[in-house]
Amino acid sequence: MHPTLRYLSGRLLTTALVVVGAVTLLFALTLLVPGNPASVLLGPRATPEAVAALAERMGLDRPLHERLLMFFGQVATGNLGTDVISGRPILTMVMEVLPFTVTLTIAAIGLAVLVGVPLGCYAATNPGSRGDRVAAVLSVSFIAMPNFVVAIFLLLIFSIWLDWLPVLGAGEPGDVLDQLVRLILPSVSLALGWVGYIARLMRSSLLEVLGEPYIRTARAFGIPDRKIVYKYALKNAAIPTVAILGLGVGRLLGGAIFAEIIFARPGIGTLVYDAILTRNYPVVQAGVLVVVLLFVLTNLLVDLSYAWLDPRLRPQKGVA
Amino acid sequence: MDTTYSRRSVLRTGAILGGAAALPFGFTGQAFAARDRLTVRVVRDIQNLDPANRVSFIEGNVIRAVCQRLISFKPGTFEWEPDAAKTITQVSPTLIEFELKPGQMFHGGYGELTAEDVKFSFERFRQPGPDGKPHQYAKDWEALDRVEVTGTHTGRIHLKTPAPAIWLVTLPDGSGALVSKKAFEALGDKVKNTLIGSGPYTFAEWQPNQRIVLKANPDWKGPKMAFNEIVLRPVQDPKTAELAYRSGELDFTVIEPTGAKDMARVANTKVISQDSINFVWIGINVEKPPFDNPKVREAIRKAIDVDQVILAAYNGAVGRAKALVAPGLLGHWADAPVHKRDVAGAKALLAEAGHGGGFKAKLTLLNRPAYQTAGVVVQALLAEVGIDLQLEVLDGGSFWSAGNGDAGKNLDLSIQRFGGKADPAFQTQWFVSEQVGVWNWQRWKNPEFDRLYAAAASTIDSNERARLYIEMQKLMDQSAAYIWLTHEVNVFASRSWLKPAILPNGDDLQFDKFTDA
Repeated sequence: MHPTLRYLSGRLLTTALVVVGAVTLLFALTLLVPGNPASVLLGPRATPEAVAALAERMGLDRPLHERLLMFFGQVATGNLGTDVISGRPILTMVMEVLPFTVTLTIAAIGLAVLVGVPLGCYAATNPGSRGDRVAAVLSVSFIAMPNFVVAIFLLLIFSIWLDWLPVLGAGEPGDVLDQLVRLILPSVSLALGWVGYIARLMRSSLLEVLGEPYIRTARAFGIPDRKIVYKYALKNAAIPTVAILGLGVGRLLGGAIFAEIIFARPGIGTLVYDAILTRNYPVVQAGVLVVVLLFVLTNLLVDLSYAWLDPRLRPQKGVA
Repeated sequence: MDTTYSRRSVLRTGAILGGAAALPFGFTGQAFAARDRLTVRVVRDIQNLDPANRVSFIEGNVIRAVCQRLISFKPGTFEWEPDAAKTITQVSPTLIEFELKPGQMFHGGYGELTAEDVKFSFERFRQPGPDGKPHQYAKDWEALDRVEVTGTHTGRIHLKTPAPAIWLVTLPDGSGALVSKKAFEALGDKVKNTLIGSGPYTFAEWQPNQRIVLKANPDWKGPKMAFNEIVLRPVQDPKTAELAYRSGELDFTVIEPTGAKDMARVANTKVISQDSINFVWIGINVEKPPFDNPKVREAIRKAIDVDQVILAAYNGAVGRAKALVAPGLLGHWADAPVHKRDVAGAKALLAEAGHGGGFKAKLTLLNRPAYQTAGVVVQALLAEVGIDLQLEVLDGGSFWSAGNGDAGKNLDLSIQRFGGKADPAFQTQWFVSEQVGVWNWQRWKNPEFDRLYAAAASTIDSNERARLYIEMQKLMDQSAAYIWLTHEVNVFASRSWLKPAILPNGDDLQFDKFTDA
């Protein structure tokens, strides 16, 4: 088998195992959480008969291993079942909100890269300068500030005081401009911490690469600094940042929940959060499954991108 | 590194940033733009619009705007008036006759509302659902025997037993919603998220977790609706709702009582504060030692200064409750005793009960700020009489299951809050013996209370009913298992041009009766 194919199939197998492990762990956790899902869902007006009936409809009367097997069976057939409360297919519920979370994540990570990488490059190419010190203070401040605090401040400044940007929702369907405008504050509030991380990481890795012998050689050949930094050094210095981005996308997918709640946006985070509060486990499982899938796929892509960034990391024939 | 900034690059960057900054202008304040659209916050998204299986008041508010009932509440009160019914009469304790107004059409081309639809709408509560299980609100029509259709627009509701509460709890509420038999048969399971009614608003659009749109029914023959469109926006976080209101994206929202003063300063805003009929109390598990000793329960009641607890928890925004049924409702016990704090008396009772040295106990409560503050105050007050109280703060999912089944035997004290309805039969139903292990977390069983409850539920005479409910509250008071805190207050922020219609329980909004003041 071609080394790349072998590498890829190995990674895919690991990915599948991670997904199975995560979902099994989640199932086990549902045992530890107190609260009868049926009575929580039906609320104080529910009769014992209605609670028992709902518990049966949710499959809560079956043993855990049976429910787990049933869930994997549903996943395998692409049918995650029907939500007992709304009567809607769970897969539809998840797929309806998934684009909002993915868009928010991409916007946030994109913004973090667009700001963080140049900030890190500037700091690395001007070490010890006033700009470097300012960038350091800004980066650490961004990292230290909790996202929800940033979100509230952004809302106060841009929505209330300046009245520039709206507070609620994801925008009118079909109105791209409205959707973009309503994406600004949530994505900035999510991105700010990552700007700091990426800037600090970029600075340190670029400084390290700029001290490598091949860079000194390039300078000795009289190649302009700008070309050395952006053509030769940046690509190698980017590897740790790309690795962090892979984790970042995963964390943002799961962590977008606070932005979704504060900005009242639909998304996987709010779907899962609401489902946890009501112990609606089938929806929780479906939501978490999708997040886990996206997380492991992103990391798979990141792993594969190492090879593109650094030929030394490409799978070789005869090398395990 | 050669890094230079030319005048051109600086100007270009500035133009981009300026453009980006200017871009959003005009996107806020949409709620101000046209008065024919009203934007209202709902605290969560709708889940099931089938009247028999609605989840809570969120769905109920939508159902009542879209579906007519035989009778409906007048704006902001629990007084009813005919709605779809031209006439409706209680002929005998178990017989109600009605005549529908002619020409009331269902939305979506499902034809005219007839007595057959009334029969279908009510009798389905007593029949099992498609999966053979009972409907969630089946109990609302427990007394129903059958609906007899006597003509296209006339019929009779036969009851198995007298049920005066259906005039306030069932007929004018979600369980009295008149649905189209034809639509239910055509839509099947889709009735959970499609609503066909004959009311003043149509269920026009639902984007899950984004918005629900109600549009004025063009075929509506009643008074013209004040708004062509009512948009309901699910906003969970109260602070976000407050900011969205301030930015003009919402016209009406429930707010925290503690935020009322700040919101009143917002331009074009009126803050509406109305006493509620809900009830918050500290319950004591009478089965578990040492609380099985009435002297211990009485000592705890004497040790707690209710005024101090609610002042701290609600910032002085609510009044004190003296009994279960709130003022203004039938069965309110106006002369209920106001228990004053008496530390010496509490210590003496504990000593008499053999607990002079105090003991450890647990207070289970929901993780809402008001209850947590109340818990801390109660903890401090009980410490003075030697009771070492631990707080068990739980999220909604865990809390609302804490008293279920055998788990409830482990409860000591708990802070609970139940919503109220217009009839005391609703408020008192949770405290009967058969509710032990369900919602009677005090596990207090009193055969006389149960007897009075059954008698009151089937008594037609209002004065007699009131007397029975007061007797029941006296028994609760004698048990010392209930320390009533407050009936709460409902606070809303509303545009000054809006005249909302809110039923006294504060949860039930009458969208069809919202007007432009």
